[in-house]
Amino acid sequence: MNVVDIFSYAFSGIRLRKLRAALTTLGIVIGIAAIVALLSLSEGFRVAITSQFERGFALDVLTVTTGRGLGFGLGDGVSSGTSDEYLTLNDSRAIYGISGVKLSTAVTSKSVSLSSGDLSFTITAVGVNFSEYSQLYSSSFVAGNGSVPDSSENNSIVLGARIVDPWQNGTVFARVGDYINVSWISGSITRPVVRSYVFHVVGVLNEIGGFSLGGPSDVKVYIPITTAQAIFETDGVNLILVQLVNGEQSTIDSVTASINTLFDEKVTVMSPAAMLNTFSSILSTIQLFLTGLAGISLLVAGIGIMNIMIVSVMERTREIGILKSLGMKNRTVLVIFLCEAVIIGLLGAVIGIAFGFGLSNFVSRFGLALLGTGNGMLGGQGTGGGLSITPVLTPMVIGGALAFGVATSVLFGLYPARRASKLKPVEALRYE
Amino acid sequence: MATIVETVNLKKTYMLGKVPVYALRGVNLKVESGDFVAIVGPSGSGKSTLLNMIGALDKPTEGKVLIDGVDVSSLNDDRLAELRRRVGFVFQFFNLIPRLKANENVELPLTIVGVSKGERKRKTFELLKAVGLGERVDHNPTEMSGGEQQRVAIARALANDPRFLLLDEPTGNIDSKTADMLVGLLKGLNEKRGVTIIMITHDMNVARHAKRVIRLLDGKVDETGITAKGD
Repeated sequence: MNVVDIFSYAFSGIRLRKLRAALTTLGIVIGIAAIVALLSLSEGFRVAITSQFERGFALDVLTVTTGRGLGFGLGDGVSSGTSDEYLTLNDSRAIYGISGVKLSTAVTSKSVSLSSGDLSFTITAVGVNFSEYSQLYSSSFVAGNGSVPDSSENNSIVLGARIVDPWQNGTVFARVGDYINVSWISGSITRPVVRSYVFHVVGVLNEIGGFSLGGPSDVKVYIPITTAQAIFETDGVNLILVQLVNGEQSTIDSVTASINTLFDEKVTVMSPAAMLNTFSSILSTIQLFLTGLAGISLLVAGIGIMNIMIVSVMERTREIGILKSLGMKNRTVLVIFLCEAVIIGLLGAVIGIAFGFGLSNFVSRFGLALLGTGNGMLGGQGTGGGLSITPVLTPMVIGGALAFGVATSVLFGLYPARRASKLKPVEALRYE
Repeated sequence: MATIVETVNLKKTYMLGKVPVYALRGVNLKVESGDFVAIVGPSGSGKSTLLNMIGALDKPTEGKVLIDGVDVSSLNDDRLAELRRRVGFVFQFFNLIPRLKANENVELPLTIVGVSKGERKRKTFELLKAVGLGERVDHNPTEMSGGEQQRVAIARALANDPRFLLLDEPTGNIDSKTADMLVGLLKGLNEKRGVTIIMITHDMNVARHAKRVIRLLDGKVDETGITAKGD
């Protein structure tokens, strides 16, 4: 019996019990769809994060912080040091002296209250050296309106693009040339001291987009670092960004070693590549875990296949007897029943892949939009500042899903098919 | 005449729970090419068991079944399957595959053997015409009368040009008028085409059309009952 005939005979067996076959297929569809949706979403997540990462951290930039901070995702964000040791502007200058270092600049940041007229909100103020910082982020730290000052006037402030109209409803908070108040609460919780300073808006950055892992952001404001230190009453900085002469691993390694020696191993030096690796491996673990969960549904689907196949073999015992009396070999009977299982598995996998990818697109469009606004910090409507994830369906995921669907059906179809092939013709023919 | 089927001291014992059932107790039988044998006997005399042995559907407990001189007991499952391709079975309950149309049922043994599609179609049509069903090729068995279904079954049994036809109560489930027609068809096949036929029946009206009648009784050939007919 040739392959086409076996296939078409198996297919006629499936057509006989459409509803049952459809329900069994649905089991596979759900399992495969879950796997595909999870994988393509998390893959899309990885791509989104990676691109954010690459935008925020150039490959040739090291981040120096005190303590053993989490290491990634903080960028120039909230304070990361937990030890008493802290970095200063002098440290930045010292790092600049290391060979292989092209640029070294310190960054510090705190949460402050911005106000202008009746309007006010809380935002992260970042203290930077404008000329060094704009050199480091020459593509993103660019003023769309006004300019990023070269020599810092002590009360200059540069706004992220979304600060101009933070509620995105036409209520303009501040423009270039305006004066705004920056307030910072110091002192203890029981005796807070509110200090207020007036800043002159000299520039508004071009829209950067994304949610900015490290690097300039649409939802932060930038002030000269010396002013920041004065306001925050400290001579420390949160971190020092070190640009290298090139992004080669050997340079990264030697400079990292030099910095560690310089600070007596009391600082943490992170390279973007290492951060990305850390992130990637965490994501991979999560992916594996999620796939495992989805795999359980596939297992259930496999048992469904086994169930329907066993019932089918029992119902068609007489038919198997007839086939054998007509001279069909055991092997052919086995292949026919296995083929039925595989058709269900393959069909389920194909539909499941399409359905899963559709589902992940749906989720990324409507589900994650909520997550996106959460990042807005400005009570944001809209998703402008959110992380947009485009699900990615890699050929490996497609191939894997197909293989999984087929493997499941073969695995669970094997026992019933063997049972069919082993039936004794006389007994099978006698079966009512 | 060449001997097609021969049984030598054929014995078959079943276990019905813990009780042994001696279905065949030493049957000696010889069927030659072109013969038309009717095997008769009361229920439980071992007719069906004998037929299963001759058709290589089952193996004997003792003794031998020789088909074209080959001992069935010595064959493995694959060789047995190949042997069955040269035997045309017709069952009392037709045993057509209900989801396949008449022509597809007839085509099935040809498909199993691996005959090309065109040849299958041609032969199927020819066979259905030979059994008088030329117009009903694409009907489902469920839409056919018992007599029609049995004729489809005969056409299917003939598909691979078998060495002999084995019929198990072919008229047991159809009315007497149709049965007469069916027997006429078998007689025609035997006389005009030289098809060797071994048929089980307990209807003497059917059996008398055969060239020979063998009577089974309690798992043995009833020697007194053998009639060599010459009509």
